[in-house]
Amino acid sequence: MVTQILDPTDERVPIKRSLTPRPEALHGTIALLDISKPRGDVFLNRLEELLHERAPGIETRRFMKPTVAKPAPQPIKDEILEECDFVIEALAD
Amino acid sequence: MHPPTKFSLLDANGQEQQFPPDGPVLLALVKEDCDTCNLTLPLLEAVHRATEDGLDVWVAVQKTDDIPVLKERHDLTMPLLDDDALDLSYETDIDTVPTLFLYDEEQNCTLQTFGFDKHEWREIASESMELAGRSGADTAIDWESLPEQRPGCGARNYEPGVYERLQAIKSGDLLSRLVDLASSDDIHEFMYDQGYTDGFPVVPPTRERVWKMLQGTPRDPQDEVAIVPPNLAPITVEKIAINAVMAGAKPEYMPAIISLVEIACTETFNIHGVLATTMGATPVGIFNGPIRDRIGMNYLHGALGSGNRANAAIGRALRLCARNVGGSIPGGTDRATQGGPHRLTMNFAENEDASPWESLAVEYGFEPTDDIATLMAMSGGPATVADERSRDARGMAGTLAASMSCMQDPKSPMVDTLVVLSPDHAGIFGRSGWSKDDVRECIMEETAIPLKHRLRSDDAGCGLPPSVVERFGGEAALDLPVPKFREPSNIILVVAGSSAAKFSTILGGWAGGVYSTPTSARIGPDGALEIRGARAAEMDKRSSGGRDLGAFEPNIRRP
Repeated sequence: MVTQILDPTDERVPIKRSLTPRPEALHGTIALLDISKPRGDVFLNRLEELLHERAPGIETRRFMKPTVAKPAPQPIKDEILEECDFVIEALAD
Repeated sequence: MHPPTKFSLLDANGQEQQFPPDGPVLLALVKEDCDTCNLTLPLLEAVHRATEDGLDVWVAVQKTDDIPVLKERHDLTMPLLDDDALDLSYETDIDTVPTLFLYDEEQNCTLQTFGFDKHEWREIASESMELAGRSGADTAIDWESLPEQRPGCGARNYEPGVYERLQAIKSGDLLSRLVDLASSDDIHEFMYDQGYTDGFPVVPPTRERVWKMLQGTPRDPQDEVAIVPPNLAPITVEKIAINAVMAGAKPEYMPAIISLVEIACTETFNIHGVLATTMGATPVGIFNGPIRDRIGMNYLHGALGSGNRANAAIGRALRLCARNVGGSIPGGTDRATQGGPHRLTMNFAENEDASPWESLAVEYGFEPTDDIATLMAMSGGPATVADERSRDARGMAGTLAASMSCMQDPKSPMVDTLVVLSPDHAGIFGRSGWSKDDVRECIMEETAIPLKHRLRSDDAGCGLPPSVVERFGGEAALDLPVPKFREPSNIILVVAGSSAAKFSTILGGWAGGVYSTPTSARIGPDGALEIRGARAAEMDKRSSGGRDLGAFEPNIRRP
């Protein structure tokens, strides 16, 4: 009878991260990230309109992943982190 | 064989005995079911009695239960030590019993032997008497009645199963966490509950099995082979071996499995995207070269299906590595909308002898004598192309093209496809003198339809957005032909299967060269020796302006 086996996983314990506290109001610059999926731009265009309409004073910046097939390149992530206060990512179709 | 310098074992009375004792000592390792051991135990007892307090004679027995049996059978009074755990036998690395070591009063091993050689045993007995200070005294051994030589028996620590267990426990090769099961646990239910499996039962990765698997490669078990997405977890040779055991692999598959893991985790192959995509792509492995026969891969009847251990287990091992180490779990980061049965494993060898052309590996720049693995990402499941009528290449290529035209949907251009030709279909091209490029060009032409027929319409929402027309010159472009595939080289041609009948298989790609590039490697004992992407093209939609086209940029053929 098998009583011991070797662990087939990577054995790592995920780092626990807490959510950033929800801000009282939108402010500053909002990154709108298109992951290069079809119609992502349609969704983000409409979202951008609504954001300017309902949260006047905020700025929006558009970002786009080079390909949907791979994670966002580090420079894009760094730019969003350094220059924006919020990010909205348009996932999937 | 290494004479031990220090150990402790329990004797027949349960008393711990520390080696070395003070003074000279004769140490023997024996087992009960060995005729030579039984021949020589009375000799050791005679030496023990003759040397009295001048020399210790210790006998380590390789099984606890054998101690009282031997004691009674030979009326033994010398200390019998219990080496049931085989700690001493392993450290000493004896492969034969009986084995003898004689130590002087300084604890230097001065003589050793194994089996029974009368000359050597007489010398050891005589030297023992001398060390005991009884030089010349009689040992009461009737040497004349003894045979000149008797071979020993295989030591228990080298018995099949025992050897692997000892190596697995004591070699220090295995560093993975040991998972303990309760006595009430069913191993298969347990492993499924832990999320270790792909839904089918797996072979439990015991230390013995994993150690045996590691013998399939000379590579250090703790070598880091790759970083596996999506969790970006390092994978060692040991972790690959554990998942290979679970997949049902044999040790000789290890170089191939390590190579596939290395290929999968390259930037060009992009296993991250392949396994995360909602489209349900999967890595398909194709093997070329002598390794196909060496490890018994199937490229004949049912090559793409079930029934062959190497084909099934190698592909499954890669998928289990991606699941267990990379963390690619359906519904988690594996977002496949539906997936397909080929996501469990799809891996086969090319039938090179039945191909009229150079193999896939040679086409990609390797030598025919190289062992080559190629991974390509396919999203469309295997679909049969049946053509029992065509007798010439043109007709056969037309059949392939017609079958491919509606791949994914009839309007959308795709990037790539994998065509697995049966020997009978491939033979038609061979007899007609068609090259692979001839076949590809014919498929490009035959699948080309005017751009206007590839556009979305009210009655079928698939296809290209109308906005694409402007990018290609407006209305004048509407009648220009657009082939199904990006480039002729995106039509990948291989031969597999038997000459049973005229059926071939086509699979839809996952934007080869854009999302994931077919990637090959030469397989060495340690894994991938050189890794080459068949095409290194990367599409950046920001620069191509290809918004809203997905990866499937149309290839418009202008006159």
